[in-house]
Amino acid sequence: MQNVLSIIFCLSLFYLAVTSRVKAYVTVLQIQGAILTVLLLYPLIEHFSVPALILPATLFIVKVYLIPKYIKKILVDLDIKRIIEPTIQQFSFLLLIIFTMTVVFVATNILSKSTEIETIPFASGFSAVAVGMFVIIFRKKLIIHVAGFLVLENGIFLFGSTIASKLPMMIELGSLLDIFVVVFLMGIALNKISSTLSGFEATALRRLKD
Amino acid sequence: MLLLAILIPLISAAACYLVKSIRAHYYISLAVSVLHLVFSYSLFTGWYQPGEFMLFSADSLSQLILLVLSNVYFWVVLVSFAYLKRTAASHSVSGRRYYFLLLNFYLFANTAAILSNNFGMYWVASEATTLSVAPLIYYYRNEEALEAMWKYLFLVSVGIAFAFIGILFLMLSSNGTVLEGKQLFFTDFAKNAALLNPIWLKASFIFIFVGMSTKIGIAPMHAADVDATSNSPSPIAALMAGSLRMTALLGVMRIFQIVTPSSVHGFARTILISGGLFSLFVAFVFMFKVKNYKRLLAYSSVEHLGIITLAVGIGGLAFVGAMYHIVYNSLCKVVLFFIAGNVHREFKTREIAGVSSVINLMPWTGWLFLLAFFAISAIPPFGIFFSELMIFEGMLFSGKPWVLVVTMFFMLFIFINMGRALLQMLYRKSEHEVTLKEAERFDITHFASIVLLIAVIVIAVVSPDILREHILNISKDFGIKL
Repeated sequence: MQNVLSIIFCLSLFYLAVTSRVKAYVTVLQIQGAILTVLLLYPLIEHFSVPALILPATLFIVKVYLIPKYIKKILVDLDIKRIIEPTIQQFSFLLLIIFTMTVVFVATNILSKSTEIETIPFASGFSAVAVGMFVIIFRKKLIIHVAGFLVLENGIFLFGSTIASKLPMMIELGSLLDIFVVVFLMGIALNKISSTLSGFEATALRRLKD
Repeated sequence: MLLLAILIPLISAAACYLVKSIRAHYYISLAVSVLHLVFSYSLFTGWYQPGEFMLFSADSLSQLILLVLSNVYFWVVLVSFAYLKRTAASHSVSGRRYYFLLLNFYLFANTAAILSNNFGMYWVASEATTLSVAPLIYYYRNEEALEAMWKYLFLVSVGIAFAFIGILFLMLSSNGTVLEGKQLFFTDFAKNAALLNPIWLKASFIFIFVGMSTKIGIAPMHAADVDATSNSPSPIAALMAGSLRMTALLGVMRIFQIVTPSSVHGFARTILISGGLFSLFVAFVFMFKVKNYKRLLAYSSVEHLGIITLAVGIGGLAFVGAMYHIVYNSLCKVVLFFIAGNVHREFKTREIAGVSSVINLMPWTGWLFLLAFFAISAIPPFGIFFSELMIFEGMLFSGKPWVLVVTMFFMLFIFINMGRALLQMLYRKSEHEVTLKEAERFDITHFASIVLLIAVIVIAVVSPDILREHILNISKDFGIKL
């Protein structure tokens, strides 16, 4: 089950590589959030406890509902164009992602021989970290940078879920709250940028240099 | 008690939200800062000896960094009310409204990060420090401040995410050992470091180092920090340069403490030395071209954090020097940013070319600026002279004397360029002579600067036993034999 969900997670990354619509990024974030929630719920089939529901429920609320809704609101409020405006061609971006994923999967497979790790979820998570970075680097719009950051965070969460040692729930919840507040502050900053600077692209941020 | 020290600033932040008067915010914050300072000092001197509580404890390193935080925070709060009354640029009502609330939240997050004994807790609190300081960077509500806030928030958040990957790798390194499945307590990992998987431990160190570098402000991840420090109000810049960077450095030192008894130690030292030298190189290059005096001070922070990182990597006597350097650098940076704030307020520009005859027009500010420059440039009897001497001696006998040669070369040119810029500001006669509305009066920032500069001398000359004892304890925790 974990492997199947991780592969769907990987497919969502490919979708990010080929889509040119801003809204599609939000949908992918929702899908990834839902996958992570199911991954957290799955072990509860065998060992159910009510407190164990707190984390998946919070994750669902934050990653599937609150953050996507907030990003959609920003898109509408600021009337941001629906095209992502890449800095490289979509095909080159896809090739880059395929190449990176291949390297990550091969490297993980080699590492899994010396350390006990779940190859597919681990590599999928790490691929998402790389894709998130590429989205930040190769897309102009600042709102897409926020989406890239969230993909990166989802990737960390996915491969974190494959590690045997678990962080205390308080810390997991704290990290979710932190991410939510970061996105909230970024939204406020985007609002200000729209009214103060000349656009929503990273190129608008070039005043500070030596 | 530990928990109380963390929670009181949070309660005072809530109080600042409920109360409307800025003056009341100031008194609440000042009272909390005094309490915090008393708590940190009691902890440091051993009057209060706490045990472990949940995910928190206080070893010698966290006690030292906590005292640095408390001290910087106290002075920043003390001068803030006067600063808010006469800011350097226009600001919004909401900026003032949330200023002290965010300062209290900053204290809460930093205290939690410094006292945490667990990597997970440290990460959450460290991210919270970013959230508290980002809106403060945007205090002036202008384009530069907005850009600086965005870059800081975004790049540091990505950096912190990388640090989290490092923490997960650290967990992976414990697979198959007694630590598997246990919580990420620094002390447990440091005790059993020899058992950890070296490949994952190396990966963990790199990710935590690179991730936290965005917050420490060392090259090549220094850009956001330089922008943020140079565009925020002076008390906030002082807070960031004097304490936030140290809190971030603590994360790198914790992972370094863990790798110290392991086979990864040599690798980690190389990374720290490279990071430190590269920071010095970046400061060296930018000191030639920088035209903004607050950015100049921000690059000076890159330089000094580079020296500290380098010295931690060198080890031995240099490590001891680095611990002293943390204290002195923090005190000097607070003075420099306070004084730079005074200059900005009167001249309404951050450009070096736009400032002239400071020593004539603003004698208090001018002389203190000159003294603070001497202090940060390691002129005796200021403390940095002694800490750098220790670092240089450590480098010389470390088996890598070339590091000393390279470091001194960079530092010489940094000193010359920084001196040239500051002396121009202080003494240059401008063609368009600037006149101030009234003669400069002695104010709270001058008082704070004088006290802090005296502290930099007194600590170095008296060399308190308690500080030496703490630093030796920290060195012992890092396996350093002197």
